[in-house]
Amino acid sequence: MISVKNLCKTFNGLEVLKGISTEIDKGEKVAIIGPSGSGKSTFLRCLNLLEEPTSGEIWFEDQLITDPSVNINQIREHMGMVFQSFNLFANKTVMENITLAPVKLGLMKKEEASEAALKLLDRVNLKEKADVYPASLSGGQKQRIAIVRSLAMNPDVMLFDEPTSALDPEMVGEVLDVIKTLADGGMTMVIVTHEMGFAREVATRVMFMDEGIIMEENTPDKLFGEPETKRLQDFLSKVL
Amino acid sequence: MNNIETKFYNAFIVNDRWMLYVKGLGVTLEIALFAGIIGIIIGCIVALMKLSEPKKGRKHTLWWYLATAYVDVIRGTPAVLQLLIMWFIVFSTSKNGVLVASLSFGINSGAYVSEIIRAGILAVDKGQTEAGYSLGLTKGQTMWEIVLPQAFKNVLPPIGNEFITLIKETAIVGYVSLSDLTRAASQISSRTYEAFMPLIGAAVIYFILIKILTLLLEALERRMRRSDLR
Repeated sequence: MISVKNLCKTFNGLEVLKGISTEIDKGEKVAIIGPSGSGKSTFLRCLNLLEEPTSGEIWFEDQLITDPSVNINQIREHMGMVFQSFNLFANKTVMENITLAPVKLGLMKKEEASEAALKLLDRVNLKEKADVYPASLSGGQKQRIAIVRSLAMNPDVMLFDEPTSALDPEMVGEVLDVIKTLADGGMTMVIVTHEMGFAREVATRVMFMDEGIIMEENTPDKLFGEPETKRLQDFLSKVL
Repeated sequence: MNNIETKFYNAFIVNDRWMLYVKGLGVTLEIALFAGIIGIIIGCIVALMKLSEPKKGRKHTLWWYLATAYVDVIRGTPAVLQLLIMWFIVFSTSKNGVLVASLSFGINSGAYVSEIIRAGILAVDKGQTEAGYSLGLTKGQTMWEIVLPQAFKNVLPPIGNEFITLIKETAIVGYVSLSDLTRAASQISSRTYEAFMPLIGAAVIYFILIKILTLLLEALERRMRRSDLR
């Protein structure tokens, strides 16, 4: 589904990604772990070109999306993204947040989109919040709605950029539950996370990134159980 | 008759002089309103020009250079001079003083408004834009639906401030023989040889006008802050 070839990204002379190559297949749940500054968020943001790669190729369903002639907006319709800081549209109600893109992009009529939105909101138990503004919600509620907003576009893959890092501890669980349900439903997903337990439980594959490369990747059992590199052993000894 | 009463009578009542203030106020309002609208339109366009993204390897767009030159020239010269240049040089054949003055003040105000709007747009969290893009919205849709409404809320107080300044700045249209409120007052004072009543009278009218405007702006701001309520 997603194929990355020798992806590099440089910020003002600083090499953040130094040649990432990987394949992500349909239905896979890939967790990316690693220390701060290892490039994991940058890698994720390159996948939907929120960051423009300096060099390398990204293919999404047989289309080279790093090619400048590609209409990236159309690609992004198929890739949902959930941010660390939620990024709900502050000037729109919850309902408007969810229906804005499907309606504006002509995928659904307004009534259709509202109906779909209510169903999705019901799935995350937030139906009664449809008409409030984001400012009145808790972090956990905001993030569940941000997930719903992405789902409303019926994406083929979901990208999660540290979805629980900005949450109070007692709200982490409710968000992870939603993501887990989504994973069980067969959604392809890439999750940058610091929640090792969650990565272990949900992921089909875990990538350990450090210093701009994928240092090690494996099934969760093997990666957490028998880490090969010294760097990963150190990292796990600190976080587990 | 009491001295003050005479002065008041001479300044406002005799020969229906109060009509001169009313007409003058009309001219002031007309110019300020048109200039305000022109200023906001120019300001939005220039702000977007300044924020246009350059192609790879370039520092700025051509739009950026044009917009910057405009802002520099307008901010670098006095408004009175701009008005005189518009009236005596650019539109020297025009008889419509109000139109020329509106245009002149609008172009002047646009430079200041553009910087206010640019700051307002930059103050909107980048995550809002990224969220828009990540859903497949175009740059235009993201700007129009998400960034500008939030920027508008940010800029309402300074824009109100700019409009208030603009209203008072129109007092210089006397330089091109337009009879606005200030000129009406000064004409009357030169006819009655008495400055106090007409000038204080005009000042009170400006003050009331701007106080009303301030209250309206506050009400609008409260409405715009609806989405912030917790």
